[in-house]
Formats: sequence, structure tokens, C-alpha cells
Amino acid sequence: MPEHVILQFDAPTMTIVLNDPDRRNALSHDVFDDFEQCLDDVDTAIDSESCHVLRIRGEGPAFCAGFDLGAMADGALPSFLERLGAICRRLRHLDAIVVAEVHGPALAGGCALVSACDIVHAGPDAAFGYPVHRLGISPAVSLATLVPGTSPGAARALTLSGESLDADAAVGIGLAAAAHSDRSALSDAVTTLCDRLGAMDAATLRATKRFQNELDGTIDAEVFARSLAASLATADSEEFRARIEAVMHSRRSG
Amino acid sequence: MNTIALGTELVTLTTDGAIATLTLNRPDARNALSLEMIAAMEEALEKIEAGINGVRVVILAGAGKGFCAGMDLKAVQDDPILMGDMLRRLAAVSRRIRRLDVPTIARVQGAAIGGGCGLMVVCDFSFTHPEAKLGYPEVDLGICPAVVAPFLVKRIGAGRARAMLLAGGTMGGESGFAAGLATHLVPMDELESATTAFAERLAKGGPEAISATKRWLNELDGSLDDEQLAKGAEISAELIQTEDAQARLRTLFKR
Repeated sequence: MPEHVILQFDAPTMTIVLNDPDRRNALSHDVFDDFEQCLDDVDTAIDSESCHVLRIRGEGPAFCAGFDLGAMADGALPSFLERLGAICRRLRHLDAIVVAEVHGPALAGGCALVSACDIVHAGPDAAFGYPVHRLGISPAVSLATLVPGTSPGAARALTLSGESLDADAAVGIGLAAAAHSDRSALSDAVTTLCDRLGAMDAATLRATKRFQNELDGTIDAEVFARSLAASLATADSEEFRARIEAVMHSRRSG
Repeated sequence: MNTIALGTELVTLTTDGAIATLTLNRPDARNALSLEMIAAMEEALEKIEAGINGVRVVILAGAGKGFCAGMDLKAVQDDPILMGDMLRRLAAVSRRIRRLDVPTIARVQGAAIGGGCGLMVVCDFSFTHPEAKLGYPEVDLGICPAVVAPFLVKRIGAGRARAMLLAGGTMGGESGFAAGLATHLVPMDELESATTAFAERLAKGGPEAISATKRWLNELDGSLDDEQLAKGAEISAELIQTEDAQARLRTLFKR
């Protein structure tokens, strides 16, 4: 039974809850295992035509703080990139409308997940960004969905600068659809949206989503493969190993 | 002001100096797009494409309180095949508007809904006012807005278009302006004068430079991609012919 990521059903809406709050829902071996299991169950529910809306949220202070640093230091980065890329592709190709409810930071891999969702709502303390070049990691794996979801210019600036955006700025570049003034307003708005989507015709929504994917190029598995390859190209570099080791060292001594 | 004769009054075409105005003229039905209206637009577009002496800008307008309430599906409610044909012809009309050699401005007062909002984003510029009602509520009705998606994506970006089309609903003029549906937001009582003033400014530009720029922009953003534009119409047409969509529409029309 997955516990680091939980899947809840309230047909026709499913909710994936990232549930490792003490580690700010960082993507670890356990979280990936459970996330993949939950997505298998999501596929089953969609195939049975009982559900066509998927809500994703995080438990605790953060939506998702990116990859687990300790695991990366132990050599997990290439497999983490592959698993993240696959999850992003699955979310984008899912025959359900995927709604992200983002409170707190959604950084690096967390921001990649957000960029793969169809509709994103952000809370007052949300933060979006890719502060990973400083670790010697390329966020290119996220560009397959970030570029078409925002604009080439905005995606370029966000990934290269390493800066993070607040909720309003995320709305400004099209990464989020709406920003909310407090946590309960965020949650209420996402519930209302999911209820609205749930009342709509599943086949129609599916057709619209598929054509959107075709229009913006994300229907193409090759785009995800190239995006991943660009991140993998530097995943085993000396530079990455030296930088992650320095981070771990300062953590141990700090 | 000169009026150019068309075979119907459902659409009017007038010129005033360098500015031609194509007006949807079915105010009693909030300019809902019937098959006859689409045919009238085709006729007007033929005249514009053939070249009207001195015309350098086209304004697309709607007579009465609203710009365009979208497709008049009720009028063909017993004929899903005809609904599909209407969608295909609307897509073709949109493509022709997009490819006119002169810049186009939608002057949007009141409602621009569904296909009406689609016409708004096909134009190079769109003027509206805060009290306007804009959007794509197609998914709320169980129909698929794929036909308008290509130009919406080009206008506001794929991410915003995704959220807008999948969530359905409508929005006011200010939100529409913020989202990029409209390029200009002016007070309602200045809509006509502001649009005309802007059109006159455009008309002063070098016409060859403007049409070359417009052609290159069309090439850059995929507006010359016949296959993609046709596909959007096909998807919408296919979906509207399903029993599910038809049942939803029948319920809607009964209200």
C-alpha cells in the first residue's frame, strides 16, 4: 500500500497527495515507487471510465522540493531524471484533466511536475523555479512541457536564471492559471474547478486535451526523450559529483 | 461611406477611405453564426480578397448589442452532419481572415462566445471594453472547441489556451484583456472611435511592408498550416456528431 504518495478516489475526481511532508515531498526512491504505483491505479480508473479528473497536491509545507539530495549523492540522479521524465509524460498523455494545487515551493523536479499538469492553481506561498544549475544539474527534462506551457522566452529565463517565481509571476508567464490569496481559497477554487470538470463530458475533454497536446507538440514522445537526454548528458559529470558532494558536506557539518 | 453590394443582408461590407468594415448583421440573434451567415461572410471575403481599391485595414464588427454569440447550433439541431459542415466552413472562413493581406481588427462589444470569440482571436487585433463577455464555454455544453484552438494557442500561448479551453466558462472584458484575448481594452463608449483611430493609424503604414510582415508572422506561427487548421475542425465536427454531444445539446435547447 503506497504511503509516500496516496491516491484518493471521489469519482469522477482522483487526488494524488504527495505525502512525505517531513522531507518537503522531495522525490526519493520511495516517493517515485509510490507515485508510479498511484499512476498505474489512475490508469485503471480511467480505463474503467469511472474517473476523468486528477488533482495533485502536496501534504505539509511544500508541494515538492525536487529530488532527494542524499539519494542523488548516492548515484540516483540518472534514474531519478528518467523516472521524472516518464511521470511528466504520463501526466501529459493521461486521458484525464490534471489539476495541480500548489501551495509552498514547487522547485526543480517539483516544478517539472507542475509544468506537466493541464491547469495549475497557486497559493500565496507558492514558489516555482529550477535552482539546479548550481548543483551541476540541467533542468532540460522539464522543457518538453515548460516551453509550450509558457513561452520559449519565459522558459529560457526561468530555467537559466535559477530564480524562483511567486504565484502572480507564475500566472504572468502562463505557468499557473490562477493565484489565490490564502490556502483555503486555493483549496476551494481547485475543488470548484475539479467539480466543474467532473460534470463535463469525459470524451469531449479527452478530445480537447489530445488536440492541445498535438498543437503544442507534447503528443510527441520524442520530445520527452530528447528533453530527458539533454538532462542525462550531464547527469554523470565530475562537476555534478563535486557539487553535490560539497552540498552534502556542508549539510553534514552544518 | 460606400456600401458594397452582397447577395444578403446578414453581413454588410462598407468602406470609408482606407478602412473596410465587415459587419455581422443578425442582431436579433446576437449575430449567431448560421449557415447563411457563414456563406455571406465567404462572399464578403471574396470581395476583400479580390482587392477593394484603397482598402488597407479591415474591421470585423457585429451589429447590435453583441459581437457574436457563436455558432447557431439550434437552427440545425436535427442535423448533426450539417453542424459538422458548419464547423468546417467556419474554420475555412477563419483561415481566410487570418491570411488577408491587410491587418484585421475585431471590434468586440458585448458578447463574443465560442465561435464568436474564435473570430475575435483570428484577427490581428481585438478591441473590447470592460463589460464585454468573452470565452469558450464549449466543454460546458459537451462540445469540443478544437476548431478555435489553433488560433487561440497562437494568440495567448499554449499553456493559457489549455487552461482556458479545458475549464470552459466565460470572463469579462478586463480578464479577457489580461489573458490576451483582446489586444486593446477601452471604455465602452469609446470602442468605435478608438477602433477607427487605430485603424487609421494602421492604414498609414507601408502596405507592402505590413503585408510582408503579416505573411511572415503567419508562416512563423503556423497560420499557413492547412492540415492543422483543418484537423481542428474535423475533431470538433466528429465530436459534435456523437450521440453524447447530441443528447447534451438537445437538453440545452429544451431549456
